[in-house]
Amino acid sequence: MQDARLRLFSVLLLSVASFISTLGAILALIWLFLYPAYLKAALLSKAYYLLLPFTGIVALIMQISGGDGLSYFIRMGVLLLIGFTIFRGWAPGEFLDLSVWLLGRRRGFDLGLAIEITIQGIDEATRDWSRILTTMKLKGMHPDIRNMASVGFLMIHLRLLRARDQADLLTTRGYKSGGSCCPDFQASNRDIIASLCTILILFISFAAVRDIFILMM
Amino acid sequence: MKLVLDRITVARDEWHCHADGTLHPGIHLVTGRVGSGKTTLARIISGVLNPSSGKIIREGISSSMLCQQFPEYHVTGATVAKEAESYGVAAEKAMEIAGLSGLGEEDPFRLSRGELRRFQIACLELRDWDLIVFDEPFSALDCQEKQRVSRRISLLSSRIVIVFTHEQRYLPRTDFLWEMRDGVLQFLGTVPQALPYWETAPGHVRMLLENGIIPANLTEEDLREGLCRMQG
Repeated sequence: MQDARLRLFSVLLLSVASFISTLGAILALIWLFLYPAYLKAALLSKAYYLLLPFTGIVALIMQISGGDGLSYFIRMGVLLLIGFTIFRGWAPGEFLDLSVWLLGRRRGFDLGLAIEITIQGIDEATRDWSRILTTMKLKGMHPDIRNMASVGFLMIHLRLLRARDQADLLTTRGYKSGGSCCPDFQASNRDIIASLCTILILFISFAAVRDIFILMM
Repeated sequence: MKLVLDRITVARDEWHCHADGTLHPGIHLVTGRVGSGKTTLARIISGVLNPSSGKIIREGISSSMLCQQFPEYHVTGATVAKEAESYGVAAEKAMEIAGLSGLGEEDPFRLSRGELRRFQIACLELRDWDLIVFDEPFSALDCQEKQRVSRRISLLSSRIVIVFTHEQRYLPRTDFLWEMRDGVLQFLGTVPQALPYWETAPGHVRMLLENGIIPANLTEEDLREGLCRMQG
């Protein structure tokens, strides 16, 4: 999906649909198959499998205590997957475009820039993490708690150094507040239809919840 | 002690790289064009990456180290002294070799890239690795330091030392010459016999060869001596 506006619209609706009902979550999961490359990238993400067990633990506690843990696990699992899939499909500069389109060249530009820098930081942190683990392996160090603390320190330190360089660069280029940016969005018919489908998914998921309320009454 | 690259293949989309050969103790120089797969091969040989197919057999090699292209990738310690300790070497000695005495409590990222490179190579020298893979060891160094580092690498010839580089001028005393050609690692032979077959030879080496002079080796002294012979 090339148009960032449609992507944001879709992710918001799919997230709400997944959150409110299991049926909505299942339909959202089916929707994600429209973009198999992004879905595959999300499913290959280690971070997804790091977060999923936490959802599982909460779901298990809910199930034991009489709640619907299975439904919670499905809904939260799909919600996470939506986040990862959309994140994987995001290209550098799109948040800036989107933010400027939404809020204009002053506040929108500042907000978009902050988001872009943050996302860039996440990417860099992922690469740093991988490099540090490689180096530790080369040095024969084991990733135990004591070493992990120093790795955490190192990663924060690297982030601060890069932030300083970025600040210097922005200052050198005369940045104070706002900036000129001309967002350009391209939407295919397929993307528009896929986005409209998310409205239907949200509607169905609401309907499912409403039916439950009716049955409970 | 030997390292066997048994039909190693790396494939990524359209790009591929192949390596097959046996490496014995000595200095192995590997050259090739940008993007030919030198860094990938360096990472595979040092065990950081797995090849798409083939295997690496390490006979009698109990320890190995990769000197990565960017020295900051190696930093895991909060201070220069702790960084030396992470290699298992004496901090004072490493700092002395690198010309950084008295900077033990300094943040490694406060050092320049060249200083960090010097320090990293000093740490590598101080441990008795059986296999050392250098990926562009001369990057970030000035001419004087390149010369010094190439001399120090020359002293490690009792181990298997593989130097992947683009460096044209300051090279270590090389025993074996290899070249990446069209994604294939080719063994050209021992130095100096292999020099005439070296496609990516530095300009001054090529000039000597074109004038019928084969230098004894690739160090600056050898090349200077070859130049003297050429001038009569």
